[in-house]
Amino acid sequence: MSALTSTQTRPIWKRLNWNVTTKQALFAYAILFPTIAILALFRFFPMLQAFYVSLTEYDLLRPPKFIGLENFIDLVQDPLFLSSARISIMYVVLSCVPVWVLSLGLAVLFNRHIVAKNFFRSAAFMPVVMPAVVNAVVWTFMYHQDGVVNTVIGWFGVDPIPWLRSSAWALWAVIIIGIWRATPYYMVIFLAGLQAIPEEYYEAAQIDGASAWSQFRHITLPLLKPTTLLVMVMSVIVAMKVFAVPMIMTGGGPADSTRVLPLMIYQTAFEFFKMGRAAAMSIFLFAAVMIFTVFQIRLFARGEE
Amino acid sequence: MSKRLSLVLLVVILLAVIAACAPAPTPIPPTAAPKPTDAPKPTTAPAQPTAAPATKAPEPTKAGFAFPTENITIEVWWHEYAPMTAYVKELIEAYKKVRPNVTVNATVASSTDMNTKLTAALAAGTGPDVMDADASYYVAYYTKGVLEPANLDVFGVKTYQELADKYVPGGLASGTFDGKIYTLPYQGNSMSLFLNNKLFAAAGLDVKKDAPKTWNDLMALCTKLKKVEGNRTSQKAFEFPYHSPRWQLQDLQPMTEQFGGKLLSDDGKTAYLNSPEAVKALTLWRDVTKACGDPKNTKNTASDPNKDFLDGFTAMWITGPWATPQVTASPVKNDFTVVGLPQVDPAKPKTMVYGWAWGVYNKRPDKNKIAAWDFVKFMLSKPDEWLGKAGFVQPVKGVSDSATAKNFPFFDVHMKDVQTATWYIRSEFVNEIAQAVGRAVDSVVYDGKDPKAALDEAQAAVEKVLKK
Repeated sequence: MSALTSTQTRPIWKRLNWNVTTKQALFAYAILFPTIAILALFRFFPMLQAFYVSLTEYDLLRPPKFIGLENFIDLVQDPLFLSSARISIMYVVLSCVPVWVLSLGLAVLFNRHIVAKNFFRSAAFMPVVMPAVVNAVVWTFMYHQDGVVNTVIGWFGVDPIPWLRSSAWALWAVIIIGIWRATPYYMVIFLAGLQAIPEEYYEAAQIDGASAWSQFRHITLPLLKPTTLLVMVMSVIVAMKVFAVPMIMTGGGPADSTRVLPLMIYQTAFEFFKMGRAAAMSIFLFAAVMIFTVFQIRLFARGEE
Repeated sequence: MSKRLSLVLLVVILLAVIAACAPAPTPIPPTAAPKPTDAPKPTTAPAQPTAAPATKAPEPTKAGFAFPTENITIEVWWHEYAPMTAYVKELIEAYKKVRPNVTVNATVASSTDMNTKLTAALAAGTGPDVMDADASYYVAYYTKGVLEPANLDVFGVKTYQELADKYVPGGLASGTFDGKIYTLPYQGNSMSLFLNNKLFAAAGLDVKKDAPKTWNDLMALCTKLKKVEGNRTSQKAFEFPYHSPRWQLQDLQPMTEQFGGKLLSDDGKTAYLNSPEAVKALTLWRDVTKACGDPKNTKNTASDPNKDFLDGFTAMWITGPWATPQVTASPVKNDFTVVGLPQVDPAKPKTMVYGWAWGVYNKRPDKNKIAAWDFVKFMLSKPDEWLGKAGFVQPVKGVSDSATAKNFPFFDVHMKDVQTATWYIRSEFVNEIAQAVGRAVDSVVYDGKDPKAALDEAQAAVEKVLKK
């Protein structure tokens, strides 16, 4: 009886007979809690909320009205949404592929022993440091009929191109800026990957008489695979979310030719105040990013096998 | 065990966090919510004021009405336009002397962001006491029940009609809903045709004699005023706006009306974007553009919409009286002339008026609402200063008689255009309508699409929105 009383009076944490592993796990969770809480509050909760909002008709000022999957059904039949999705896909493909090639090429170049290497590396990184808004404004001037770009192509006898005022050219204008801005960033990532490849591999290949291309093909590329996967996944995600440049430079025009999905989501939410519809669009975008990412990871995993 | 415990703990932590901060979206409950059927009718714009003298100072408030004596802080938001910002700041300083117990906190946002910021703030319950919005947006705020009707005591009147009588007929139409006045405009601008005198003279034209009255007149001038050097346009004769769908709607609306049509029914429920009249208007737009402009070559932007005219790159440009200070400060200086908006048939003139207005947020404490309306009244008390300092025409009686109006370049032309104007489309879906129109215009001008086909698409898009 007295033993029972003694057990009951012991604090609860002493009665729980936790082993060392459990205690360590608890400690880890305690340490992680603030981060998890912040992520849950500012990342996961808004995402969950977006799922809910996508099932409603909601204009911010009136209470949301549950409408089930109506927004989604409506979107797949909406030619404007489908056109915007097509433009986003074009942007991703036409900007990411050159970014991968150029950033890897620049990384290989800057990994070599060249004069003033650090200066060139820093100079190449400048577009990343410049805010997107500044980029957009500067390029708007550069793309004008009398701007730098047309002046330069004029030296080669090319007629001025109405970069931002032609539905045939505007998307290309935005893509060029995307490439210009993203390439140095991924170059740095590739550079880090290249520097992690042991020099001995190349020395051994040289002794065996391997050409530079063979070394690149059989040493650099395979060993850069994890870095390449990272760059591909990141660049696709970033490209799918492109917003500031088309928003500032073209507003989605002319004739919707640069209305990428994130811009359409923004306009639907904050110009038309159709939060439910915009949330449904963002879920489509989320799904597309997920599918792309999983596809790329699987592709690389298959390559590994 | 440890693994399971870890998993359970993780889930519990996440749920706890989510539950603790998981209020559903918290819209402001609409109070005294108006019926959705109360959509205002587009109204013929004010006729030219003549009778009453200019209002120089705030009028006395109603006898017996006591302004709160405790300290009050009100938030005022307005859209960025340098001359206006400078003037409103002057007014705030002056108001401090009139009402020392009221502190006015100012926030300025770009005109393109204002509606978004305002709606987000109103949704969060943190809207300003005094808001500034494009008059065409207020119908959305009204239907969502966030506007406070004008405080009649503050204005020293007994009825809304009495307040409306201080304005020119139709002057408050943009902010009158269900018989009550909810917003007061500080600008009701016409859109008129600005001409660059020097460019006219250089082309051997007499700006007084040759100024166009009709679209055909205008097109006839283009061969003389448009200059192309090699493959570059070095001077445009005339240009329509391509920097903003709202501006495009601003021009297509009166053109459609000139052909005898309209873009939206009076109750705002039916769109007529692909009506024969609208198709004729867009066809005319295309033809004028081909003859006179070069839409692929422009520096106009949303924040600098008159740039090409100010640079002397465009000889003729449609804009409002508010652009006058910009023009006089530009290389064009005073070498410009303003004439009425070109017409299809000058015997049946149709123009357009648009503007911005002050409104008061109804979810603020009573004392704030009183102070807010009092501040609005104070701000609007000097329409001649609004004209002189910001170039805005306030549709209040007597403004034409002020010395400022008499000295304001081409004030009579602006007022004449106002007389034949209808207000810019007012609809909860005005941005969607503008975007559909802008898309149609762009596809005709840039992609060579058939105007009817382009407007059919615009009509389908807008019908879908209105149906919902």
